[in-house]
Amino acid sequence: MIELHNVSKVYPPNVVGLRDVSLHVKPGEFVSIVGQSGTGKTTLAKMLFAEERPTHGRVTIGGWDITAIRDRDVPLLRRQIGVVFQDFKLLPRKTVFENVAFALEVSGAPSRRIKEVVPQVLKIVNLHEKGRRYPGQLSGGEQQRVVIARSLVHRPKILVADEPTGNLDLVNTQEIVDLLKTINQFGTTVVLVTHNRDVVNALKKRVITLSGGEVSSDEEEGRYKV
Amino acid sequence: MTTLLRVFRFAFQNIMRNFWLSLITVSMMMFTLLSVNVLVALNLVADRAIAYVQDKVEVSVYFDSDVPEPRVVDAAGFLRGLEQVRDVSVITPDEALERFKERHARDETVLRSLEEIGKNPFGPTLVVKARHPGDFPFILEALDHPQFANDIRDKDFTDYQGVIDRIRETSDRARAFGIGLSVVFLMIAMLVVFNTVRMGIIIHREEISIMKLVGASSAFVRAPFLIEAILLSLIASALAVLVVVPLVALIDPGIGAFFDGASTIDLLGYYQVNGVALFLAQFVVLAGVSMLATGFAMRKYLRV
Ligand SMILES: Nc1ncnc2c1ncn2[C@@H]1O[C@H](COP(=O)(O)OP(=O)(O)O)[C@@H](O)[C@H]1O
Ligand SMILES: [Mg+2]
Repeated sequence: MIELHNVSKVYPPNVVGLRDVSLHVKPGEFVSIVGQSGTGKTTLAKMLFAEERPTHGRVTIGGWDITAIRDRDVPLLRRQIGVVFQDFKLLPRKTVFENVAFALEVSGAPSRRIKEVVPQVLKIVNLHEKGRRYPGQLSGGEQQRVVIARSLVHRPKILVADEPTGNLDLVNTQEIVDLLKTINQFGTTVVLVTHNRDVVNALKKRVITLSGGEVSSDEEEGRYKV
Repeated sequence: MTTLLRVFRFAFQNIMRNFWLSLITVSMMMFTLLSVNVLVALNLVADRAIAYVQDKVEVSVYFDSDVPEPRVVDAAGFLRGLEQVRDVSVITPDEALERFKERHARDETVLRSLEEIGKNPFGPTLVVKARHPGDFPFILEALDHPQFANDIRDKDFTDYQGVIDRIRETSDRARAFGIGLSVVFLMIAMLVVFNTVRMGIIIHREEISIMKLVGASSAFVRAPFLIEAILLSLIASALAVLVVVPLVALIDPGIGAFFDGASTIDLLGYYQVNGVALFLAQFVVLAGVSMLATGFAMRKYLRV
Protein backbone atom coordinates (compact mmCIF):
# COMPACT_ATOMS: atom_id res chain seq x y z
CA MET A 1 0.00 0.00 0.00
CA ILE A 2 2.79 2.41 0.96
CA GLU A 3 6.35 1.93 -0.23
CA LEU A 4 9.37 4.12 0.38
CA HIS A 5 12.61 3.24 -1.37
CA ASN A 6 15.73 4.94 -0.03
CA VAL A 7 13.88 8.19 0.50
CA SER A 8 15.84 11.24 1.56
CA LYS A 9 14.60 14.74 2.06
CA VAL A 10 16.89 17.72 2.29
CA TYR A 11 15.29 21.08 2.98
CA PRO A 12 17.16 23.97 1.50
CA PRO A 13 19.86 24.90 2.18
CA ASN A 14 20.96 21.65 3.85
CA VAL A 15 18.63 20.60 6.67
CA VAL A 16 18.15 16.87 6.57
CA GLY A 17 14.51 15.86 7.09
CA LEU A 18 14.82 12.20 6.14
CA ARG A 19 17.86 10.10 5.38
CA ASP A 20 17.65 6.99 3.25
CA VAL A 21 14.33 5.70 4.59
CA SER A 22 12.91 2.49 3.17
CA LEU A 23 9.74 0.91 4.40
CA HIS A 24 6.72 -1.01 3.24
CA VAL A 25 3.26 -0.76 4.76
CA LYS A 26 0.78 -3.43 3.72
CA PRO A 27 -2.91 -2.77 3.06
CA GLY A 28 -4.93 -2.68 6.28
CA GLU A 29 -1.93 -2.21 8.51
CA PHE A 30 -1.86 0.13 11.50
CA VAL A 31 1.57 1.72 11.81
CA SER A 32 2.78 4.07 14.50
CA ILE A 33 5.68 6.35 13.77
CA VAL A 34 7.55 7.60 16.79
CA GLY A 35 10.71 9.51 17.46
CA GLN A 36 12.01 12.63 19.05
CA SER A 37 11.09 16.06 17.86
CA GLY A 38 12.76 17.02 14.61
CA THR A 39 13.53 13.48 13.50
CA GLY A 40 11.47 13.68 10.33
CA LYS A 41 8.13 12.17 11.35
CA THR A 42 6.08 14.98 9.88
CA THR A 43 8.27 15.05 6.79
CA LEU A 44 7.63 11.36 6.29
CA ALA A 45 3.89 11.80 6.76
CA LYS A 46 3.82 14.66 4.24
CA MET A 47 5.55 12.49 1.65
CA LEU A 48 2.54 10.22 1.65
CA PHE A 49 0.16 12.83 0.24
CA ALA A 50 2.70 14.74 -1.86
CA GLU A 51 2.86 17.75 0.41
CA GLU A 52 6.61 17.21 0.25
CA ARG A 53 8.54 15.52 -2.54
CA PRO A 54 11.57 13.37 -1.84
CA THR A 55 14.97 14.75 -2.72
CA HIS A 56 16.14 11.22 -3.45
CA GLY A 57 14.41 7.88 -3.57
CA ARG A 58 10.96 6.77 -4.59
CA VAL A 59 7.51 6.88 -3.00
CA THR A 60 4.75 4.58 -4.19
CA ILE A 61 1.16 4.68 -2.92
CA GLY A 62 -1.12 1.81 -3.88
CA GLY A 63 1.14 1.01 -6.81
CA TRP A 64 1.15 4.63 -7.96
CA ASP A 65 4.62 6.13 -8.12
CA ILE A 66 4.12 9.62 -6.74
CA THR A 67 7.78 10.54 -6.52
CA ALA A 68 7.46 13.13 -9.26
CA ILE A 69 3.68 13.45 -9.27
CA ARG A 70 2.41 16.27 -11.45
CA ASP A 71 0.68 19.16 -9.68
CA ARG A 72 -2.57 18.49 -11.42
CA ASP A 73 -2.57 14.86 -10.29
CA VAL A 74 -2.11 15.76 -6.63
CA PRO A 75 -5.86 16.29 -6.04
CA LEU A 76 -6.52 12.77 -7.33
CA LEU A 77 -4.05 11.38 -4.81
CA ARG A 78 -5.52 13.39 -1.97
CA ARG A 79 -9.00 12.13 -2.65
CA GLN A 80 -7.69 8.71 -1.74
CA ILE A 81 -5.85 9.66 1.41
CA GLY A 82 -7.40 11.00 4.59
CA VAL A 83 -5.22 13.49 6.42
CA VAL A 84 -5.43 14.55 10.04
CA PHE A 85 -2.87 17.24 10.68
CA GLN A 86 -2.51 19.89 13.31
CA ASP A 87 -2.05 22.60 10.68
CA PHE A 88 -5.40 21.79 9.13
CA LYS A 89 -7.95 22.86 11.66
CA LEU A 90 -11.66 23.31 11.43
CA LEU A 91 -13.11 26.49 9.99
CA PRO A 92 -14.51 28.35 12.99
CA ARG A 93 -17.30 30.03 11.05
CA LYS A 94 -18.71 26.83 9.66
CA THR A 95 -20.77 24.33 11.57
CA VAL A 96 -19.57 20.79 12.13
CA PHE A 97 -21.72 19.61 9.26
CA GLU A 98 -20.47 22.39 6.97
CA ASN A 99 -16.86 21.72 7.88
CA VAL A 100 -17.19 18.11 6.84
CA ALA A 101 -19.30 18.97 3.80
CA PHE A 102 -16.68 21.53 2.73
CA ALA A 103 -14.21 18.75 1.96
CA LEU A 104 -16.70 17.20 -0.44
CA GLU A 105 -17.91 20.47 -1.92
CA VAL A 106 -14.49 21.66 -2.95
CA SER A 107 -13.60 18.40 -4.60
CA GLY A 108 -16.67 18.57 -6.78
CA ALA A 109 -18.97 16.05 -5.14
CA PRO A 110 -22.63 16.41 -6.07
CA SER A 111 -24.95 17.76 -3.37
CA ARG A 112 -26.80 14.47 -3.14
CA ARG A 113 -23.62 12.68 -2.18
CA ILE A 114 -22.79 15.33 0.40
CA LYS A 115 -26.16 14.88 2.08
CA GLU A 116 -25.55 11.16 2.17
CA VAL A 117 -21.91 10.97 3.17
CA VAL A 118 -21.63 13.69 5.81
CA PRO A 119 -24.13 12.14 8.25
CA GLN A 120 -22.43 8.78 7.71
CA VAL A 121 -18.99 9.97 8.69
CA LEU A 122 -20.35 12.06 11.55
CA LYS A 123 -21.97 8.89 12.79
CA ILE A 124 -18.66 7.03 12.63
CA VAL A 125 -17.07 9.62 14.92
CA ASN A 126 -20.22 9.68 17.02
CA LEU A 127 -21.01 13.33 16.44
CA HIS A 128 -24.11 13.00 14.28
CA GLU A 129 -26.12 14.87 16.87
CA LYS A 130 -23.79 17.85 16.96
CA GLY A 131 -23.76 18.70 13.26
CA ARG A 132 -25.22 22.14 13.84
CA ARG A 133 -22.68 23.22 16.42
CA TYR A 134 -19.73 25.43 15.69
CA PRO A 135 -16.23 24.16 16.47
CA GLY A 136 -15.99 26.66 19.33
CA GLN A 137 -18.86 24.87 21.03
CA LEU A 138 -17.05 21.52 21.07
CA SER A 139 -14.39 20.04 23.32
CA GLY A 140 -10.89 19.49 21.97
CA GLY A 141 -11.52 15.79 21.55
CA GLU A 142 -14.78 16.40 19.72
CA GLN A 143 -13.09 18.88 17.41
CA GLN A 144 -10.42 16.34 16.58
CA ARG A 145 -13.15 13.79 15.83
CA VAL A 146 -14.71 16.24 13.38
CA VAL A 147 -11.32 16.56 11.70
CA ILE A 148 -11.19 12.78 11.44
CA ALA A 149 -14.72 12.71 10.05
CA ARG A 150 -13.65 15.25 7.45
CA SER A 151 -10.68 13.08 6.49
CA LEU A 152 -13.04 10.16 5.87
CA VAL A 153 -15.40 11.77 3.37
CA HIS A 154 -13.60 10.34 0.38
CA ARG A 155 -13.57 6.87 1.97
CA PRO A 156 -9.78 6.87 1.91
CA LYS A 157 -7.68 3.74 1.64
CA ILE A 158 -5.06 5.39 3.81
CA LEU A 159 -5.42 7.65 6.82
CA VAL A 160 -2.41 9.71 7.86
CA ALA A 161 -2.63 11.29 11.29
CA ASP A 162 0.15 13.51 12.60
CA GLU A 163 -0.01 13.84 16.40
CA PRO A 164 -3.80 13.75 16.49
CA THR A 165 -3.78 13.52 20.27
CA GLY A 166 -1.14 16.17 20.81
CA ASN A 167 -3.31 18.58 22.77
CA LEU A 168 -5.74 16.15 24.33
CA ASP A 169 -6.19 14.74 27.82
CA LEU A 170 -6.14 11.02 28.59
CA VAL A 171 -9.82 10.32 28.03
CA ASN A 172 -10.02 12.19 24.77
CA THR A 173 -6.75 10.63 23.62
CA GLN A 174 -8.17 7.17 24.23
CA GLU A 175 -11.32 8.06 22.29
CA ILE A 176 -9.33 9.21 19.30
CA VAL A 177 -7.10 6.12 19.34
CA ASP A 178 -10.16 3.88 19.57
CA LEU A 179 -11.66 5.71 16.66
CA LEU A 180 -8.52 5.18 14.60
CA LYS A 181 -8.59 1.50 15.47
CA THR A 182 -12.21 1.28 14.36
CA ILE A 183 -11.38 2.97 11.08
CA ASN A 184 -8.49 0.54 10.66
CA GLN A 185 -10.84 -2.37 11.26
CA PHE A 186 -12.98 -1.11 8.39
CA GLY A 187 -9.92 -1.82 6.22
CA THR A 188 -8.24 1.58 6.05
CA THR A 189 -4.47 1.62 6.37
CA VAL A 190 -3.60 3.93 9.26
CA VAL A 191 -0.32 5.78 9.71
CA LEU A 192 -0.22 7.39 13.12
CA VAL A 193 2.56 9.78 14.09
CA THR A 194 2.67 10.19 17.83
CA HIS A 195 4.68 11.17 20.84
CA ASN A 196 2.50 9.30 23.24
CA ARG A 197 4.26 6.35 24.89
CA ASP A 198 1.13 4.90 26.45
CA VAL A 199 -0.82 5.04 23.23
CA VAL A 200 1.86 3.19 21.33
CA ASN A 201 2.38 0.58 24.00
CA ALA A 202 -1.35 -0.10 24.35
CA LEU A 203 -1.85 -0.47 20.61
CA LYS A 204 0.40 -3.49 20.23
CA LYS A 205 0.80 -2.77 16.54
CA ARG A 206 3.75 -2.11 14.28
CA VAL A 207 6.03 0.71 15.45
CA ILE A 208 8.59 2.50 13.29
CA THR A 209 11.05 4.61 15.23
CA LEU A 210 12.88 7.45 13.54
CA SER A 211 15.98 9.11 14.80
CA GLY A 212 17.93 11.76 12.98
CA GLY A 213 15.83 11.19 9.88
CA GLU A 214 16.65 7.49 9.75
CA VAL A 215 14.64 4.41 10.67
CA SER A 216 16.29 3.18 13.85
CA SER A 217 13.83 0.37 14.52
CA ASP A 218 10.81 -1.22 12.88
CA GLU A 219 8.96 -3.84 14.93
CA GLU A 220 5.84 -5.86 14.18
CA GLU A 221 4.38 -5.55 17.66
CA GLY A 222 6.52 -2.74 18.95
CA ARG A 223 6.87 -0.62 21.99
CA TYR A 224 7.71 3.02 22.41
CA LYS A 225 11.44 3.45 22.80
CA VAL A 226 12.92 6.80 22.09
CA MET B 1 -23.04 22.92 -12.75
CA THR B 2 -22.97 22.36 -9.01
CA THR B 3 -19.29 23.17 -9.08
CA LEU B 4 -19.94 26.40 -10.95
CA LEU B 5 -22.54 27.43 -8.40
CA ARG B 6 -20.11 26.69 -5.59
CA VAL B 7 -17.39 28.71 -7.27
CA PHE B 8 -19.80 31.64 -7.57
CA ARG B 9 -20.82 31.24 -3.96
CA PHE B 10 -17.21 31.30 -2.82
CA ALA B 11 -16.53 34.34 -5.01
CA PHE B 12 -19.53 36.10 -3.52
CA GLN B 13 -18.39 35.20 -0.01
CA ASN B 14 -14.96 36.62 -0.82
CA ILE B 15 -16.55 39.90 -1.82
CA MET B 16 -18.76 40.11 1.26
CA ARG B 17 -16.10 39.12 3.77
CA ASN B 18 -13.76 41.58 2.22
CA PHE B 19 -16.47 44.18 1.91
CA TRP B 20 -14.52 47.41 2.35
CA LEU B 21 -11.73 46.32 0.11
CA SER B 22 -14.27 45.25 -2.50
CA LEU B 23 -15.89 48.67 -2.21
CA ILE B 24 -12.59 50.44 -2.76
CA THR B 25 -11.84 48.16 -5.68
CA VAL B 26 -15.18 48.89 -7.31
CA SER B 27 -14.72 52.62 -6.70
CA MET B 28 -11.34 52.69 -8.35
CA MET B 29 -12.64 50.64 -11.25
CA MET B 30 -15.51 53.07 -11.58
CA PHE B 31 -13.22 56.10 -11.58
CA THR B 32 -11.27 54.43 -14.33
CA LEU B 33 -14.39 53.89 -16.39
CA LEU B 34 -15.61 57.43 -15.73
CA SER B 35 -12.37 58.94 -16.95
CA VAL B 36 -12.50 56.68 -19.99
CA ASN B 37 -16.00 57.92 -20.72
CA VAL B 38 -14.94 61.53 -20.29
CA LEU B 39 -12.27 60.73 -22.82
CA VAL B 40 -14.77 59.16 -25.19
CA ALA B 41 -17.13 62.12 -24.88
CA LEU B 42 -14.30 64.57 -25.33
CA ASN B 43 -13.13 62.84 -28.48
CA LEU B 44 -16.61 62.83 -29.87
CA VAL B 45 -17.21 66.50 -29.11
CA ALA B 46 -13.87 67.49 -30.59
CA ASP B 47 -14.34 65.40 -33.73
CA ARG B 48 -17.83 66.63 -34.31
CA ALA B 49 -16.85 70.22 -33.56
CA ILE B 50 -14.08 70.00 -36.12
CA ALA B 51 -16.43 68.44 -38.63
CA TYR B 52 -18.89 71.19 -37.89
CA VAL B 53 -16.35 73.90 -38.50
CA GLN B 54 -14.95 72.16 -41.56
CA ASP B 55 -18.43 72.10 -42.92
CA LYS B 56 -18.44 75.89 -42.67
CA VAL B 57 -15.34 76.30 -44.73
CA GLU B 58 -16.30 77.86 -48.02
CA VAL B 59 -15.07 80.00 -50.88
CA SER B 60 -17.03 83.06 -51.75
CA VAL B 61 -16.70 83.99 -55.42
CA TYR B 62 -17.66 87.59 -56.02
CA PHE B 63 -18.71 88.48 -59.50
CA ASP B 64 -18.57 91.97 -60.95
CA SER B 65 -21.84 93.72 -60.34
CA ASP B 66 -22.59 93.97 -64.06
CA VAL B 67 -22.28 90.27 -64.80
CA PRO B 68 -25.63 88.97 -66.07
CA GLU B 69 -27.25 86.22 -64.14
CA PRO B 70 -27.03 83.41 -66.74
CA ARG B 71 -23.24 83.68 -66.69
CA VAL B 72 -23.30 83.28 -62.93
CA VAL B 73 -25.58 80.28 -63.21
CA ASP B 74 -23.20 78.85 -65.83
CA ALA B 75 -20.32 79.20 -63.46
CA ALA B 76 -22.35 77.60 -60.68
CA GLY B 77 -23.15 74.70 -63.02
CA PHE B 78 -19.49 74.29 -63.89
CA LEU B 79 -18.49 74.23 -60.27
CA ARG B 80 -21.22 71.73 -59.40
CA GLY B 81 -19.77 69.50 -62.06
CA LEU B 82 -16.46 69.36 -60.25
CA GLU B 83 -15.88 66.30 -58.20
CA GLN B 84 -14.32 68.24 -55.35
CA VAL B 85 -17.33 70.53 -54.92
CA ARG B 86 -19.93 69.51 -52.46
CA ASP B 87 -22.34 72.39 -52.73
CA VAL B 88 -22.73 75.66 -54.57
CA SER B 89 -25.25 78.27 -53.62
CA VAL B 90 -26.00 81.45 -55.52
CA ILE B 91 -26.33 84.67 -53.61
CA THR B 92 -27.98 87.62 -55.22
CA PRO B 93 -26.48 91.10 -54.80
CA ASP B 94 -29.13 92.02 -52.22
CA GLU B 95 -28.46 88.95 -50.16
CA ALA B 96 -24.76 89.57 -50.48
CA LEU B 97 -25.22 93.05 -49.06
CA GLU B 98 -27.20 91.71 -46.15
CA ARG B 99 -24.59 89.09 -45.45
CA PHE B 100 -21.84 91.60 -45.54
CA LYS B 101 -23.66 93.89 -43.14
CA GLU B 102 -24.27 91.02 -40.82
CA ARG B 103 -20.73 89.88 -40.85
CA HIS B 104 -19.43 93.34 -40.08
CA ALA B 105 -22.26 94.32 -37.76
CA ARG B 106 -19.82 95.42 -35.11
CA ASP B 107 -17.44 97.20 -37.40
CA GLU B 108 -18.57 100.85 -37.50
CA THR B 109 -15.99 102.00 -40.04
CA VAL B 110 -16.93 99.37 -42.55
CA LEU B 111 -20.63 100.02 -42.19
CA ARG B 112 -20.13 103.78 -42.49
CA SER B 113 -18.05 103.44 -45.65
CA LEU B 114 -20.73 101.17 -47.05
CA GLU B 115 -23.26 103.92 -46.46
CA GLU B 116 -20.98 106.42 -48.16
CA ILE B 117 -20.99 104.36 -51.33
CA GLY B 118 -24.75 104.80 -51.38
CA LYS B 119 -25.60 101.91 -53.66
CA ASN B 120 -25.15 98.14 -53.43
CA PRO B 121 -21.52 97.53 -54.36
CA PHE B 122 -21.98 93.79 -54.51
CA GLY B 123 -22.46 91.68 -57.50
CA PRO B 124 -23.79 88.11 -57.45
CA THR B 125 -21.83 85.73 -55.31
CA LEU B 126 -21.30 82.03 -55.39
CA VAL B 127 -20.67 80.25 -52.13
CA VAL B 128 -18.76 77.06 -52.79
CA LYS B 129 -18.29 74.29 -50.27
CA ALA B 130 -15.66 71.70 -50.89
CA ARG B 131 -15.75 68.07 -49.94
CA HIS B 132 -12.43 68.46 -48.15
CA PRO B 133 -10.67 71.61 -46.98
CA GLY B 134 -7.68 70.47 -49.02
CA ASP B 135 -9.67 70.79 -52.24
CA PHE B 136 -9.90 74.57 -52.09
CA PRO B 137 -6.69 75.36 -53.96
CA PHE B 138 -7.93 73.23 -56.86
CA ILE B 139 -11.32 74.95 -56.89
CA LEU B 140 -9.77 78.38 -56.75
CA GLU B 141 -7.50 77.47 -59.64
CA ALA B 142 -10.39 76.13 -61.69
CA LEU B 143 -12.01 79.54 -61.42
CA ASP B 144 -8.96 81.11 -63.01
CA HIS B 145 -10.18 79.62 -66.28
CA PRO B 146 -10.57 82.57 -68.71
CA GLN B 147 -14.22 81.74 -69.25
CA PHE B 148 -14.91 82.96 -65.71
CA ALA B 149 -11.84 84.86 -64.68
CA ASN B 150 -12.92 88.06 -66.39
CA ASP B 151 -16.26 88.16 -64.61
CA ILE B 152 -14.84 87.48 -61.21
CA ARG B 153 -13.87 90.39 -59.11
CA ASP B 154 -12.56 88.60 -56.12
CA LYS B 155 -12.32 85.27 -54.44
CA ASP B 156 -12.42 85.04 -50.70
CA PHE B 157 -11.37 81.93 -48.93
CA THR B 158 -12.84 82.10 -45.45
CA ASP B 159 -10.12 80.33 -43.63
CA TYR B 160 -11.27 78.43 -40.58
CA GLN B 161 -8.02 76.56 -40.43
CA GLY B 162 -7.02 78.63 -37.40
CA VAL B 163 -10.19 77.69 -35.58
CA ILE B 164 -9.80 74.04 -36.46
CA ASP B 165 -6.22 74.09 -35.33
CA ARG B 166 -7.21 75.61 -32.04
CA ILE B 167 -9.92 73.01 -31.44
CA ARG B 168 -7.42 70.30 -32.34
CA GLU B 169 -4.81 71.72 -30.05
CA THR B 170 -7.18 72.05 -27.12
CA SER B 171 -8.74 68.66 -27.63
CA ASP B 172 -5.35 67.01 -28.10
CA ARG B 173 -4.20 68.45 -24.83
CA ALA B 174 -7.42 67.41 -23.10
CA ARG B 175 -7.12 63.98 -24.68
CA ALA B 176 -3.56 63.53 -23.50
CA PHE B 177 -4.66 64.51 -20.03
CA GLY B 178 -7.66 62.18 -20.22
CA ILE B 179 -5.53 59.27 -21.40
CA GLY B 180 -3.01 59.96 -18.67
CA LEU B 181 -5.76 60.11 -16.07
CA SER B 182 -7.36 56.89 -17.33
CA VAL B 183 -4.05 55.09 -17.30
CA VAL B 184 -3.29 56.30 -13.78
CA PHE B 185 -6.73 55.26 -12.57
CA LEU B 186 -6.43 51.92 -14.31
CA MET B 187 -3.08 51.30 -12.71
CA ILE B 188 -4.38 52.23 -9.28
CA ALA B 189 -7.43 50.04 -9.86
CA MET B 190 -5.20 47.12 -10.80
CA LEU B 191 -2.99 47.62 -7.75
CA VAL B 192 -6.14 47.66 -5.65
CA VAL B 193 -7.39 44.48 -7.34
CA PHE B 194 -4.02 42.88 -6.73
CA ASN B 195 -4.17 43.85 -3.08
CA THR B 196 -7.78 42.74 -2.72
CA VAL B 197 -6.89 39.32 -4.05
CA ARG B 198 -3.84 39.19 -1.81
CA MET B 199 -6.03 40.00 1.20
CA GLY B 200 -8.59 37.45 0.05
CA ILE B 201 -5.90 34.79 -0.11
CA ILE B 202 -4.64 35.72 3.35
CA ILE B 203 -8.12 35.77 4.84
CA HIS B 204 -8.92 32.41 3.29
CA ARG B 205 -5.57 30.74 3.80
CA GLU B 206 -7.01 28.15 6.18
CA GLU B 207 -9.82 27.31 3.81
CA ILE B 208 -7.38 27.16 0.94
CA SER B 209 -5.00 24.83 2.77
CA ILE B 210 -7.91 22.57 3.67
CA MET B 211 -9.20 22.69 0.11
CA LYS B 212 -5.85 21.56 -1.16
CA LEU B 213 -5.56 18.90 1.50
CA VAL B 214 -8.88 17.28 0.72
CA GLY B 215 -8.21 17.22 -2.99
CA ALA B 216 -9.71 20.35 -4.47
CA SER B 217 -8.27 20.95 -7.91
CA SER B 218 -6.10 23.98 -8.37
CA ALA B 219 -8.67 25.36 -10.81
CA PHE B 220 -11.35 25.13 -8.14
CA VAL B 221 -9.19 27.05 -5.68
CA ARG B 222 -8.39 29.75 -8.22
CA ALA B 223 -11.72 30.14 -9.95
CA PRO B 224 -13.47 32.07 -7.16
CA PHE B 225 -10.81 34.78 -7.27
CA LEU B 226 -11.17 35.13 -11.03
CA ILE B 227 -14.96 35.16 -10.76
CA GLU B 228 -14.61 37.79 -8.05
CA ALA B 229 -12.58 39.95 -10.43
CA ILE B 230 -15.29 39.59 -13.06
CA LEU B 231 -18.10 40.34 -10.60
CA LEU B 232 -16.38 43.45 -9.28
CA SER B 233 -15.76 44.64 -12.84
CA LEU B 234 -19.40 44.01 -13.63
CA ILE B 235 -20.57 46.02 -10.63
CA ALA B 236 -18.19 48.86 -11.49
CA SER B 237 -19.40 48.87 -15.10
CA ALA B 238 -23.05 48.93 -14.02
CA LEU B 239 -22.36 51.84 -11.69
CA ALA B 240 -20.48 53.64 -14.45
CA VAL B 241 -23.54 53.29 -16.69
CA LEU B 242 -25.72 54.67 -13.90
CA VAL B 243 -23.46 57.70 -13.57
CA VAL B 244 -22.48 58.36 -17.17
CA VAL B 245 -25.85 58.07 -18.90
CA PRO B 246 -27.72 60.62 -16.75
CA LEU B 247 -24.69 62.88 -16.87
CA VAL B 248 -24.62 62.77 -20.66
CA ALA B 249 -28.36 63.46 -20.76
CA LEU B 250 -27.78 66.42 -18.46
CA ILE B 251 -24.93 68.10 -20.34
CA ASP B 252 -26.03 67.20 -23.87
CA PRO B 253 -28.38 70.21 -24.32
CA GLY B 254 -25.65 72.51 -23.06
CA ILE B 255 -23.16 71.24 -25.61
CA GLY B 256 -25.81 71.42 -28.28
CA ALA B 257 -26.54 75.03 -27.46
CA PHE B 258 -22.87 75.92 -27.54
CA PHE B 259 -22.71 74.92 -31.17
CA ASP B 260 -25.76 76.10 -33.02
CA GLY B 261 -28.08 73.14 -32.87
CA ALA B 262 -28.48 70.10 -30.67
CA SER B 263 -27.98 67.81 -33.63
CA THR B 264 -24.42 68.97 -34.26
CA ILE B 265 -22.75 67.07 -31.46
CA ASP B 266 -25.55 64.83 -30.18
CA LEU B 267 -23.57 63.15 -27.42
CA LEU B 268 -26.74 61.60 -26.05
CA GLY B 269 -27.63 60.18 -29.43
CA TYR B 270 -24.15 58.74 -29.70
CA TYR B 271 -24.55 56.97 -26.37
CA GLN B 272 -28.01 55.78 -27.34
CA VAL B 273 -26.63 54.16 -30.46
CA ASN B 274 -23.22 53.01 -29.24
CA GLY B 275 -23.66 52.94 -25.47
CA VAL B 276 -24.26 49.21 -25.16
CA ALA B 277 -21.23 48.29 -27.24
CA LEU B 278 -19.16 50.97 -25.55
CA PHE B 279 -19.90 49.86 -22.01
CA LEU B 280 -19.65 46.22 -22.98
CA ALA B 281 -16.20 46.83 -24.40
CA GLN B 282 -15.20 48.72 -21.27
CA PHE B 283 -16.44 45.88 -19.10
CA VAL B 284 -14.62 43.26 -21.13
CA VAL B 285 -11.34 45.17 -21.02
CA LEU B 286 -11.73 45.97 -17.32
CA ALA B 287 -12.57 42.37 -16.45
CA GLY B 288 -9.70 41.12 -18.57
CA VAL B 289 -7.15 43.40 -16.96
CA SER B 290 -8.55 42.64 -13.50
CA MET B 291 -8.23 38.93 -14.12
CA LEU B 292 -4.65 39.55 -15.17
CA ALA B 293 -3.98 41.41 -11.90
CA THR B 294 -5.72 38.57 -10.06
CA GLY B 295 -3.52 36.09 -11.86
CA PHE B 296 -0.40 37.94 -10.78
CA ALA B 297 -1.60 38.07 -7.18
CA MET B 298 -2.38 34.35 -7.20
CA ARG B 299 0.96 33.51 -8.71
CA LYS B 300 2.67 35.45 -5.98
CA TYR B 301 0.61 34.46 -2.97
CA LEU B 302 -1.29 31.31 -3.81
CA ARG B 303 0.80 28.20 -3.85
CA VAL B 304 -1.48 25.62 -5.32
N1 LIG C 1 9.67 23.29 5.49
C1 LIG C 1 10.84 23.05 6.09
N2 LIG C 1 11.93 23.79 5.75
C2 LIG C 1 13.11 23.57 6.33
N3 LIG C 1 13.33 22.65 7.25
C3 LIG C 1 12.29 21.88 7.63
C4 LIG C 1 11.00 22.05 7.07
N4 LIG C 1 10.16 21.14 7.63
C5 LIG C 1 10.91 20.46 8.50
N5 LIG C 1 12.18 20.89 8.50
C6 LIG C 1 13.31 20.34 9.28
O1 LIG C 1 13.39 18.97 9.00
C7 LIG C 1 13.65 18.22 10.20
C8 LIG C 1 12.51 17.24 10.42
O2 LIG C 1 11.32 17.96 10.71
P1 LIG C 1 9.92 17.24 10.98
O3 LIG C 1 9.69 16.28 9.91
O4 LIG C 1 8.92 18.28 11.19
O5 LIG C 1 10.23 16.47 12.36
P2 LIG C 1 9.20 15.91 13.44
O6 LIG C 1 7.85 15.92 12.86
O7 LIG C 1 9.71 14.56 13.71
O8 LIG C 1 9.34 16.80 14.60
C9 LIG C 1 13.76 19.26 11.29
O9 LIG C 1 15.13 19.54 11.48
C10 LIG C 1 13.05 20.46 10.77
O10 LIG C 1 13.62 21.61 11.29
MG1 LIG D 1 6.04 16.85 13.61
